[in-house]
Amino acid sequence: MKKIFCTIILLIVVLSTFAQHEGGIANEEKNVFMQKQWRVRVFAGYSIGGTAPLPLPREIRGINGYNPGFGYRLGVAVQKLFNGSRWGVETGLYLENKGMTTYADTKNYHMEAWNSDGKVVGAFTGKVKTKVDNKYLTLPLLCTYDASVRWSFSAGAYFSYLLDGEFAGRAYDGYIRDQNPTGEKADVTRAYYSFGDDLRKFHWGLQAGCEYRFYNKVAASASLQWGMNSIFHSGFGSVTFDLYPIYATLGLTYLL
Amino acid sequence: MYLVSIFLVLLHILRINTVMNKNLLLYALLVALLFPSCIRDEALNSECDIIDVDSEWLDSVGSAIIGKPIISNYTVVFVVKEGVDASLFTPRFILTKGAKIMKDSISYNGESGVVQHYTTYSEDGKWSKRYDVYYNASTIISKDKVFDFEHYALDNTGRYNVWFEVDEYGTQRNIWASGNAGYAFTGQGDTAADFPTAANENGVSGSCVKLTTSDTGIFGQLAGMPIAAGNIFLGEFNSGSAMKEPLRATRFGVQMVPAKPLYIKGYYKYKSGEVFTDKSKKVVPEKRDTCAIYSVLFEVDPENPVPLNGENVTSSERIVLIAELKNHVESDEWVEFEIPYEYINNKQFDYDRVANNGYAITFVASSSKGGDFFEGAVGSTLYVDEVTIVWEDK
Repeated sequence: MKKIFCTIILLIVVLSTFAQHEGGIANEEKNVFMQKQWRVRVFAGYSIGGTAPLPLPREIRGINGYNPGFGYRLGVAVQKLFNGSRWGVETGLYLENKGMTTYADTKNYHMEAWNSDGKVVGAFTGKVKTKVDNKYLTLPLLCTYDASVRWSFSAGAYFSYLLDGEFAGRAYDGYIRDQNPTGEKADVTRAYYSFGDDLRKFHWGLQAGCEYRFYNKVAASASLQWGMNSIFHSGFGSVTFDLYPIYATLGLTYLL
Repeated sequence: MYLVSIFLVLLHILRINTVMNKNLLLYALLVALLFPSCIRDEALNSECDIIDVDSEWLDSVGSAIIGKPIISNYTVVFVVKEGVDASLFTPRFILTKGAKIMKDSISYNGESGVVQHYTTYSEDGKWSKRYDVYYNASTIISKDKVFDFEHYALDNTGRYNVWFEVDEYGTQRNIWASGNAGYAFTGQGDTAADFPTAANENGVSGSCVKLTTSDTGIFGQLAGMPIAAGNIFLGEFNSGSAMKEPLRATRFGVQMVPAKPLYIKGYYKYKSGEVFTDKSKKVVPEKRDTCAIYSVLFEVDPENPVPLNGENVTSSERIVLIAELKNHVESDEWVEFEIPYEYINNKQFDYDRVANNGYAITFVASSSKGGDFFEGAVGSTLYVDEVTIVWEDK
């Protein structure tokens, strides 16, 4: 929680420095925008982030590589301002993708995996490559605040439905011990895994963001989504810690 | 956290022309502060292995111990000179970093063997393991030994069968090995009877060994080992290389040769599986599975014996004599076999070598002849019982 709090403070600091630079949008336009009670925008953005355990478990001894992959968000947002107020509410629908590839070193990483007739249980020490590529349909519920004609902020929650998910990778250059750290030891050059079928369908989290309007109808946007439940079903044994998607999205919005 | 930092930096780059540059320094500092908190302190070791025997200790006991100790996951085996009382030995073991060891008790293994029992404890205190340390006399196979597969037990994890022999002094000798420990990694097999190598009640007399070519499930397939043939052999199975170099996991041969072997005899019962598949589990319709039953006598350096493995067990230049079942019969009834040893590699049997312990012998049975290379038919079943190596009486 402390980390979440720090992040929010940081965001506010960063955004407030930007907010000081308010250029000139003609007064007439300003009024049109500010007085519009219903705003409908479409947007497209690039997402970068990670699906990570927090804090990192002690079994993970190092991160050797990270590739954000091609994360995108396409969406439509409907905003309603309260009468005569800078405050409003917003919802919408996003088609988004949260992915990454990581390369990690592990020590005694407990793993369980089911197959048709049995269950593999072991402790793996070595290298693990993980590729996550999850496609979601997301509904946000946000409060908004117009700080100025150029700047507006939003914060709230989001609810996602998994359309298509991949969580796969390989374990390599290490060894596995049967059942637990005292079991028979076998060197592993390469073993593949895929847990896409065990991903949770419904997922939710917190979202905060801002927009900077640099033309009348066009704005740059940035937002952060912080997952509040693990991407796997609870009780899923193959990955014994919870993995939370934490993704930032940068993009452009267009006011219809 | 560093993801958040990346985000902040990207955000900054977007606006870099209008925001003062000194802010960039501020964010760089934040990134530096947040980043290292990700990787946590290393946990204490959970493993508690006997890795080696201290060489100074081995030197100190001198010739009382012959050759190198054999260390596996739950046992250490020393071969001692006849007449040496090993019960007072206090070997120094090299353990996993931070692990501790306690001597629990001593028991006797027949007339000539001593077993010391130890428990090792991991550095983090969460795991422990019981080790049996054997001190065996250097006996050889007695000439009238019949391998009847009556002596078997469950492995230390209680999942599959392991076989041993009892020598003329009543000492338990773990000279049989199988690939069961490798199969255990696949998660297949609910009971010992489901493993590729299993004890079976319906022997020629008493129990026999049942070898079944089995599917290794999705994990075996992902590891490039789609099937596992049931196998049993005189030697050791090194599960350490089971996934990496499976042909090297089977270490064939025991240094227990009393004389020149003349022929092997015994009983088998074989039925091949319906669908023959290759290494990538592709069906090969024209092929029918065959079993393997053979025995090989080969030369070893008495002090530093190197076993044969899956790559060279029938092709090594060290092989002197080989006896191999050539034309197998498929039957529901026991079939008796008697196969003479034949010379290969232009070698002759050397009686001086026998006296110097310079030969090793193995006997191998497998439910699929191509099992080493993961070729065979799931369901091929080979029963073997009452195997005897008939030695020259001289």
